[in-house]
Amino acid sequence: MSKEITHWLDDLLAEIEGIVVRRKSSRRVRVDVPADALPALLELLQGRAGYIHLSAISCVDWIKEDEFELVYHVWSYESHSLVSAHIRIAREPGVYLSVYDLYQPAAFFERDIHEMYGIHFEGSPNMEKFILTEWDGPPPMRKEFDSEAYINEHLSWQNYNPEWLQELVAEGGGVIIPPEEQRFSQKKK
Amino acid sequence: MRPENYEAQRQPPSNEFELNFGPNHPGIEGNYALKVKLHGDVVLEAQADGGYLHRGFEKLMEQRLWIQNIALVPRICVPDPSPMELCYSMAVEQLCGLHVPQRANWIRVMQLELSRIAAHLFTFGGHAATTGMYSTMYWGVADRDLVLDLFEEFTGGRVYSIYNIPGGVRRELPSGFLQRVSETLDYIESRLPDYDNLFFKNQVFVKRAKDVGVMTQEQALAWGVTGPNLRATGLAFDVRRDDPYLIYDQLEFEIPTEESGDAWARTLVRRHELMESIRIVRQVVEALPDIHGPIRAPIPNPLAWNVPAGETYTRVESSKGELCYYVVSDGGPKPYRVHVRGPSSMHAVQVLEKLSVGSRIEDIAQTMFSLDACPPEVDR
Repeated sequence: MSKEITHWLDDLLAEIEGIVVRRKSSRRVRVDVPADALPALLELLQGRAGYIHLSAISCVDWIKEDEFELVYHVWSYESHSLVSAHIRIAREPGVYLSVYDLYQPAAFFERDIHEMYGIHFEGSPNMEKFILTEWDGPPPMRKEFDSEAYINEHLSWQNYNPEWLQELVAEGGGVIIPPEEQRFSQKKK
Repeated sequence: MRPENYEAQRQPPSNEFELNFGPNHPGIEGNYALKVKLHGDVVLEAQADGGYLHRGFEKLMEQRLWIQNIALVPRICVPDPSPMELCYSMAVEQLCGLHVPQRANWIRVMQLELSRIAAHLFTFGGHAATTGMYSTMYWGVADRDLVLDLFEEFTGGRVYSIYNIPGGVRRELPSGFLQRVSETLDYIESRLPDYDNLFFKNQVFVKRAKDVGVMTQEQALAWGVTGPNLRATGLAFDVRRDDPYLIYDQLEFEIPTEESGDAWARTLVRRHELMESIRIVRQVVEALPDIHGPIRAPIPNPLAWNVPAGETYTRVESSKGELCYYVVSDGGPKPYRVHVRGPSSMHAVQVLEKLSVGSRIEDIAQTMFSLDACPPEVDR
């Protein structure tokens, strides 16, 4: 990305209120905006700066702060740079706007985030289940969902202890290493 | 249901019917399904149905140490696992500020391009089988096996090599290995004219693939299409050249393109890419003996490794398109969040749904295989 484009992008981004721009490397720009300003930012990036490719939308669950972070990664085929726009929304009720009318690939990512985190995107074309079709539990990628606890509660463990394994253990051989002999188990900090 | 109780249900007359295409169907790549609505043989509507291969990698990765995830990531895409390892390793390196030694970068490029060759041969085989040309399938799988032999020798694993770790690569190359790489490349190159005659120039294939699943460049850009599928619409974009990583900016290679944007063009782009990958590996084989030094940067005790807090987005060009990892660390021993953006999450869902409409049912397989859609990447 040449210097001219860099300055031009900075000027353009300055048009959005409350924006924080951080240049992470020559091709990566991190932008933090208030959630309300994101559609305007993306419209500006797409319409006037050539960021026409939505590479991904990532969701991060910051449970301690009671917030979801949504990250929109957009790429420009002209200036060969990637802008990551970060916003934060409240965990409850977990509703945000769809950007499908700007970027069609958003449909898949929004559907995926809805399924995994339970965030509803208003205006997204399809919010039906895709991967977890037969799942009726809570959204599994949320931090409060403990997959091991869920398994212990809803499924029973199979007791796999065949005779040949018992014989092996009785002989003191096989693949089982006693805890005191395990290489890293006794390391203390 | 006893026959005497059976009464035919009266339905309003209609020429339309629904069909579940997959999840077990020779015309579907992997475990994946399409629900199609048909009028005769013509597809009126297609709806992708995934989830048959969901293994919850993103959740699992949050519960494992940074180093343990190395064994997990290659499983996300079975035919082309090496870019997965690399993309994750690059993210951890960026978070830790690790400087990877030059020799490791060159070895990584060799691994990536060999993996691309293997993945393309596999795709050609599968694609040819959808047109009934099983010889090409046997050839493709057999020639891919020669590349897997190389992988077995220098990484220890045939398919999932688990060779890249944050900081570099795990093992030094065995002695005489580069010679064997050269021999395998020479052999694969000598086979390409045979592939051309048997498959790429074969009228059975050309007539089936031309004008099937056509998309324009505008459509491809709007739908988020990347990789060889985008290049088949005439746009010469490649992450390796335009957002370079490792040492790709020091290598010479062309970016093949085609104009027509149909199944034929997409397959042909891959055919040309195979040649470019061979060219890249040859450059590595030539340069590697003169590049000395360590193969990995020193890393802390991997079992008590707290990666500094931060976030990063890494991108590589896999054989299917743009592969990205978004990795967040909160300074702990495990990743706080890993998001995998596989190229097929576009190709196998929205693009396939759109391109199938209006085509005949027998062309769905052509469209899907020419898009090189990889369902494990979608399900994750």
